[in-house]
Amino acid sequence: MMAGTAEILLVDDNPADLDLTIDALAQSSWPSHVRTVSDGAEAIAFLRREGKYSGAARPHLVLLDLNLPRKDGRSVLADVKTDPALRRIPVVIFSTSQAAKDIERSYELGANSYVSKPPTLAEWVAAVKLLKDFWIGCACLPREEQND
Amino acid sequence: MSATSAATARKDENSGIAIKPQLRVLLVEDNPADRDLILRELRKGEFDVISDVVQTAEEFRQRIKTNIPDVVLADYNLGQWRGMEALEILRAEGLDIPLILVSGAMGAVTAVECIKQGVTDYVLKDSLARLSVALRGALKDKEARQERNRNQQALAGKVEELARSNADLEQFAYVASHDLQEPLRMVSAYTQLLAERYRGKLDEQADKYINYAVDGAARMQSLIQDLLAFSRVGRQETALKTTDCNEIVGQAMRDLQAAILESGATVTHGPLPRLMASSSQLKQVFQNLIANGLKFRRSEPPVIHISAEKQGSDWVFSVADNGIGVSAEHAESIFIIFNRLHTRTDYPGNGIGLAISKKIVERHGGSIQAVPNQGGGTIVRFTLPAGKSADRQDPA
Repeated sequence: MMAGTAEILLVDDNPADLDLTIDALAQSSWPSHVRTVSDGAEAIAFLRREGKYSGAARPHLVLLDLNLPRKDGRSVLADVKTDPALRRIPVVIFSTSQAAKDIERSYELGANSYVSKPPTLAEWVAAVKLLKDFWIGCACLPREEQND
Repeated sequence: MSATSAATARKDENSGIAIKPQLRVLLVEDNPADRDLILRELRKGEFDVISDVVQTAEEFRQRIKTNIPDVVLADYNLGQWRGMEALEILRAEGLDIPLILVSGAMGAVTAVECIKQGVTDYVLKDSLARLSVALRGALKDKEARQERNRNQQALAGKVEELARSNADLEQFAYVASHDLQEPLRMVSAYTQLLAERYRGKLDEQADKYINYAVDGAARMQSLIQDLLAFSRVGRQETALKTTDCNEIVGQAMRDLQAAILESGATVTHGPLPRLMASSSQLKQVFQNLIANGLKFRRSEPPVIHISAEKQGSDWVFSVADNGIGVSAEHAESIFIIFNRLHTRTDYPGNGIGLAISKKIVERHGGSIQAVPNQGGGTIVRFTLPAGKSADRQDPA
């Protein structure tokens, strides 16, 4: 459980899905600040605070779609989880795919969990709220940015 | 060096009236006297023979690469090598050319052994007159073999074409349903959001339209889910392992426990065999069939019985219920995907269960059909090959 405002990064190229997720995140009472980027390369730039993201806050949680333009979600995940400066950030895969190979590959690469985008509005809201309640309201998160 | 040229052979023979069919003969012979005898005999026959002679294995190997004969005549016992080796060389080159052995003396046992190994015929040197008969036979053989090969190739081509077109369809269904999901989810989620947030704020007509859109999207989602499940059966590798049907029917019943309790159904099964199957897929078949028995019920509580009996090399499974039954005219169409006989209000569902069951059974090399149960209800029967490792747990 964390004190203060949680920084959440959403990586998704579908604006409709982003809106739904932002809406659902707002239904969890934990205070949060949501940022969005729409492709994998932007996500990496954001996390590494490159270019226009030099002042970006380090997220406490990343929701990452798998099929993204420019840089695929799998590749973003691999980069984050092999980067000593980033690998402690919880990354939850949030994708339409229910394919076993996507799920297995994501966990192999170090995803902190894998949630398939639910088909109905009610389930979507419930899943996103549950994710936020758990990761922000319940789980212990690494405190400071650390380098190994 | 000793080859009688084709031109010479033709010139000799062309004085005759009838046009003889041309025949390219490769003679493997190192004895000049025998060679001349054989060539003379060949020219007497019914073919316009174009002959060529080689002596050594190396020569033979080279010649068949450049000049493929219709038939090979080989001396059984050559100075440096044996006529049978010529057969091996032909095989190594992948050439299907009849080989006739010519021998000074050859025992019946040796002759039979050579023919077993693939020699087409043999002719003794003191009865060379039989040579033309042997040639005719060899050619007829070859033609028959080629005809058979052509037919087999045509059939294999058709089978491959069919398999490819099936695989394409599977792939299409999978990709289509997979890629349709995301935009459909958008439609579904946002019409639901509209329904939630704007109900009563527009007018009655608007509420009705929004509900239609929500219902339509939801139904399409469930159809796509089913289509995905159906095409997944075709995409899965079916790993066959020894499967105890008693166990998987038990699992299927446990999975359906809520529905069984709710309907007050009695579900029983007789002794069931062990056989080679994909247990998860076979469980799905039993689960679908039992679920149908629970769903298509009359007013009285469902009674479902599963049994199996061995018929020849197959096990025949029966899932019998006391439900509403199915008329003969619909007995086949109920296995077609999304085919429904009733309104969604009477019996909900997309009509996928039997289609998936049929696909699984057929992938296991069996067949499935529905027949009326005496005294009402339906029996769905399906067969599965008993296979070698099936044990003899015969239902009493």
